[in-house]
Amino acid sequence: MGKTAAKSSLALRNWEKLCRNKLAMVGFAIISVMILCAILAPVLSSNKPDEIDLSNRLMPPSGEHLLGTDKLGRDVFARILYGARVSILIGLSGALGGALIGTVIGCFSGYLGGWFDKITLRISEIFMTFPQLILVLILVVYIGQGLFNLILIFAVTGWTGTYRLVRGRFLSLREENYVDACRAFGIGELSIMFRHILPNTLSPVIVTVTLATAGYILAESGLSFLGLGVPSGIPTWGNIINAAKAVDVIRNNPWLWLPPGLAISLFVMGVNFLGDGLRDVLDPNQ
Amino acid sequence: MLNYFTFRFLSIIPMLFLVTVIIFVGLQLTPGDPLTYLIPPELLASANFDLEGYKKAMGLDAPVYIQFFRWLTDLLQGKLGYSLVDGSSIAKMISNRLPATLELAAAALIVSSILGILLGLISSIRQNSAADYGNTVIGIIGISIPEFFIGIIAIQIFAIKLGWLPVGGRFEYADSGFIDRLSHLIMPSLVLGFSLTAALMRYTRGTMLDVLGKDYVKTARSKGLPEWKVNVKHAFRNALMPVVLLLCFRLPLLIGGTVIIESVFGWPGMGGMILNAVSAKDYPVVMITTMMTACMVLLASFLVDLLTALLDPRVRFE
Repeated sequence: MGKTAAKSSLALRNWEKLCRNKLAMVGFAIISVMILCAILAPVLSSNKPDEIDLSNRLMPPSGEHLLGTDKLGRDVFARILYGARVSILIGLSGALGGALIGTVIGCFSGYLGGWFDKITLRISEIFMTFPQLILVLILVVYIGQGLFNLILIFAVTGWTGTYRLVRGRFLSLREENYVDACRAFGIGELSIMFRHILPNTLSPVIVTVTLATAGYILAESGLSFLGLGVPSGIPTWGNIINAAKAVDVIRNNPWLWLPPGLAISLFVMGVNFLGDGLRDVLDPNQ
Repeated sequence: MLNYFTFRFLSIIPMLFLVTVIIFVGLQLTPGDPLTYLIPPELLASANFDLEGYKKAMGLDAPVYIQFFRWLTDLLQGKLGYSLVDGSSIAKMISNRLPATLELAAAALIVSSILGILLGLISSIRQNSAADYGNTVIGIIGISIPEFFIGIIAIQIFAIKLGWLPVGGRFEYADSGFIDRLSHLIMPSLVLGFSLTAALMRYTRGTMLDVLGKDYVKTARSKGLPEWKVNVKHAFRNALMPVVLLLCFRLPLLIGGTVIIESVFGWPGMGGMILNAVSAKDYPVVMITTMMTACMVLLASFLVDLLTALLDPRVRFE
């Protein structure tokens, strides 16, 4: 009874500390509002994001099309709202997937040590030698584009950060007394790893996932801008800006690139503010 | 000292070797017949070309490990194969494009290092809570804005609206002067280095503040040294070390970032080459360019290591 009270008061104290961080709260507000808009997309816009209307191409903002239309006559405002869903989904799933892979491998690597650790450490070093965008491009060539493919590629190329983090924590935590006590009780190794040590490593992982989401949203938008991310049938913030690769679009059609660019910047900024605040609360060593 | 440098240089070699192994494996996994990209296209297209006979003659049906070593020796001699798309020699393509990317990356590195460190230095010396708060915010905003968006905005403002700088490309014509080349280089390198500048600014400020609180700084001040000497000669040199380390970690980002920036500004470098190859599924070009990129990153971090060793007298050479 006393233990649960102590645990929840620590969580409560962390939460209060987070709430006092104005920047983090601003970030949280921004993210919440934008996610809400994404969920309420059908309510906020009566247009469909993939409704091609070739007679109304490249129209500037008007009453009917709040942010104008793109090269195929699709309503930009609707595309931004529905695109928010996809961009945020990709960012979050990629980050979670990468964290999952990195945590599991890091667990075994840090706890077991030996040849497994040495090999996976080398492998992670190799992954870190290649710039992540290049790795992603290679996998896009081999696996192909697409929404799910992209999430998979992000997870497979971004596990190294979490891996190093979790491995480091496990290396130190496995020497703790309670681990020996668990063994003395006859608790199995797997159980010790996942039920006893792992919860203590989760705080920095949460911070990493938050900040990685920001990174992946930026990465997806960059790839879609280049035309190698999500194909334009499914709207994302990045592939709306894809049209702006041509200079005359930059000059004449600012409604095509300014709103999605601002949307990306605003959302990523919010995530970064929140992540920074979380890091202050959960991982004061940094 | 020479021992240390040689040791560091030699330790890159195993990594480089591993990279080539991975690239080779990647090349083997391509759909269709791997390693036919090594055959000059004129030969492939000619009427009585016997593919099987040629392979036997060139030893392309040997076991995989023998193929690997042959491929590696070819690589080191500069025989990089031919593009699947238009048959041009990959080595030639790289030699056309690599200098442009190196120029861009080096310019971005230099400019953002100087700018970031200088700004961080200034804001740490003139420390007050308003700058403190603003610095964090600016730092985060700096890394939140997508690079291509900054590029597009920069083009819109400086090239289209103000007309100060050209819209894109590397030069107007092949032997244009230094000023022309410089005006084409400014925007891409600044935009490429933008997030690096923001990160460096924030980090330098942090480490400088750490160092300025140390005892030896107080000692220097109490010796009566002029303030600028305390800041620059004593504090700054020690604050520089972690900053250089940060640079080392950020280098892959810089080289990866050239892909996007080259696309936005129409810069004719390796980034554009990779993009075209990926769009056209030109596997050999993708893999070989990737290998070049990895080599660039390894070499660059080696150079940064050298710099660290030179700057920090505490590093003892083992």
